[in-house]
Amino acid sequence: MFLNWRRGVIASVLIGTLAGSLLTGCGTGNKASGSGSAGNGGKVTTIEYWHVNSENFGGQTVRDLVQKFNEQHPDIKVVEKFQPNMYLGLMQNLQAALAGGHPPAVAQIGYNYLDYATANLPHLPVEDAAKTDPEGQAFLNNYLPNILNLGRVNGKLEGVPYSISNPVLYYNADMFKAAGLDPQNPPKTWAEVRDMARIIKEKTGNYGLYVQEPSDNWAQQAMMESNGAQVLTRTGGKARATFDSPEAIEAYQLMADMVLKDKTALHATWEEGTQAFITGKVGMYVTTIARRNYIETSSKFKVLTAPFPTFGNKPRRVPAGGNALFIFAKDPDQQKAAWEFIKYLESPEALTTWTKGTGYLPPRQDVTDDPRYLKPFMEQNPLMKPAVAQLPDAVPWVSFPGNNGLQAEQVLLDARDAILGGRQPAAEVLKEAAAKVNKLIGN
Amino acid sequence: MKIAREPGPKFAAIKGYLVPWGCLAPALAFLALFTFWPLVSTLKLSFYQWNMVSPTPKWVGLTNYLEILRSREFWLAFWHTLEYTLILLALNLALPYITAYILSHLVFKGQNFYRALIFLPSVLSLAVAAVIFLWLYNPLAGPVNALLRLLGLPAPPWLSSYRWVIPALAVITAWKSFGYNFIVLLAGLVAVPLELIEAARLEKASNWQIFWRIVRPLTSGTALYVLVMTVIIGSQYVFVPIQMLTNGGPDQASTNLVFFIYQYTFNFFQTGKAAAAAVITLIIFGGLLFLQKRVLEKGVYYEN
Repeated sequence: MFLNWRRGVIASVLIGTLAGSLLTGCGTGNKASGSGSAGNGGKVTTIEYWHVNSENFGGQTVRDLVQKFNEQHPDIKVVEKFQPNMYLGLMQNLQAALAGGHPPAVAQIGYNYLDYATANLPHLPVEDAAKTDPEGQAFLNNYLPNILNLGRVNGKLEGVPYSISNPVLYYNADMFKAAGLDPQNPPKTWAEVRDMARIIKEKTGNYGLYVQEPSDNWAQQAMMESNGAQVLTRTGGKARATFDSPEAIEAYQLMADMVLKDKTALHATWEEGTQAFITGKVGMYVTTIARRNYIETSSKFKVLTAPFPTFGNKPRRVPAGGNALFIFAKDPDQQKAAWEFIKYLESPEALTTWTKGTGYLPPRQDVTDDPRYLKPFMEQNPLMKPAVAQLPDAVPWVSFPGNNGLQAEQVLLDARDAILGGRQPAAEVLKEAAAKVNKLIGN
Repeated sequence: MKIAREPGPKFAAIKGYLVPWGCLAPALAFLALFTFWPLVSTLKLSFYQWNMVSPTPKWVGLTNYLEILRSREFWLAFWHTLEYTLILLALNLALPYITAYILSHLVFKGQNFYRALIFLPSVLSLAVAAVIFLWLYNPLAGPVNALLRLLGLPAPPWLSSYRWVIPALAVITAWKSFGYNFIVLLAGLVAVPLELIEAARLEKASNWQIFWRIVRPLTSGTALYVLVMTVIIGSQYVFVPIQMLTNGGPDQASTNLVFFIYQYTFNFFQTGKAAAAAVITLIIFGGLLFLQKRVLEKGVYYEN
């Protein structure tokens, strides 16, 4: 019930934001350079910003944004720090840093750790930070209420939604041609994906497919839920792991069969898989739209994107990926600087740079619709279109409740290795893993 | 003979204690602060549930120990530790032993060159070595697999294969510590009196017989040191490539006891369970050291 409600909200939000609404367009004109940056007696506040953007995942864009902010704010110095292993790795280092008493001021918290971060880590909810700023409310009014819900836990705004993504199917149009497939007709269902992967393997000798395998189960959740499964079912305030249902098993077994039986799909780390795709060794690649810029600029062949494939006629369900910005600074000066930096990152100029440099969809409708900012880009870049088109199919990214959320995520990663590595069939692995996760989240 | 007791017996008795203990004090203070105090804290922590940030650890009694001992991962880590140790004993004790013998008693030309060459990798940090091997092991583009494919051999995905991940990580550690063990063993080998070996040669003993019956027994003290270091330190050295390259994966296939403790502390933030695992590990290795003192020391020859 709860999940359905949340899914409805998110779907309507995302449509609302990106498919066009009128009101927010008038832009409250929140300038990043902000107030109060002058006259601090020459004192410079240094703060850290933690992100997951590696060199081929928008790392350069993060550095550009930070540099620009530092130039505009002589009294604040932001130091950006990359955290490996995606949001899981960032959470782990963050908790250690908090234990050591030196947390970063601002960090990207993946939507899959909102519950965990809010419940376990001391932070300054951005709702409270906004209250100390006379312009705070006006700033938050730039967002549609439902987008802000992505950063809310139990009604409180804990982080400002920053990046929004969903998984799409990238494919190598040149390889499609070489295999005798029509690049204008990418696969729409997983059955077609399997067939085309086989054809690519037979005709070109390359792998047909790679589905991203970072330190999260985002793409796998999209597969299981598009086949009608629920990774986590919430009933009456209690959550249960339900990724061992027949639908979930079927989706995972399809992937395992492609890797182990057909040998048309690649099982490798995210870096290896990405490298394999951009060097033309894999025909189709399911990954986040957030990597659009890197893939587009690094591939020497024609890259196209298609919406995430469905299972027959079943509805597509893609988890809303990305992150919200949280404040972990304890010192009031640092908290103030952190808020100032968040306002900058969420400004129309910075969001435009961010979307162009990564592929993330912006959280602010006014930025998307403004001809001075993203409107021309969104209309011209064909690779972005499937991601925008499937926004109505967004569902929440699973966030395990309780104190053992990090270990629960690891159980799912181990299960993925066990299934795709061929230790046991999907049914057995998922049953075992679900029992374990249920124990960890208190069932 | 009697030592002169000048200012009276009582003061002398105190002085008799004062000097040795005074000399020991700095060392003891550090030992207490950095070894025994953490040990006691770990023991205490193993009875609590605590995530490092919550202000109040929760007392849970023996639950941590029971859950650890009942979990599949702990026993995987235990058996993998043995597996790593066996591979390291072969690569870091047997192999450098034989290499050192060859380079001290059989090959005389270019000795210094070989010694320098073999010692070289041990000046690199293990983290750097791990990154180098990450590139070497890359399943699609790495030189190791390119070579294997060229020879028509199967080219496994080293770091994501259940069967190969432990040997692959052990080789990284072995590559790094081979040189050090080699030098230590070499130092022991050159101390073996040449007369003994020449006498054996006159009686037409083979090189292998000389090694096994003369050199090995006479260098057993050094070998024991290398053996103990390989067993005890090996599992800690292996931690670096595990943490950097596989995170214990795929599916915990490369975890060991040291990584298991790290994972529960800094990945899952269940410090109580990590502490319990640390205490169990301490007991296991303590047992090994006891065994070494009781059994192995007896057959060892020390020059003095």
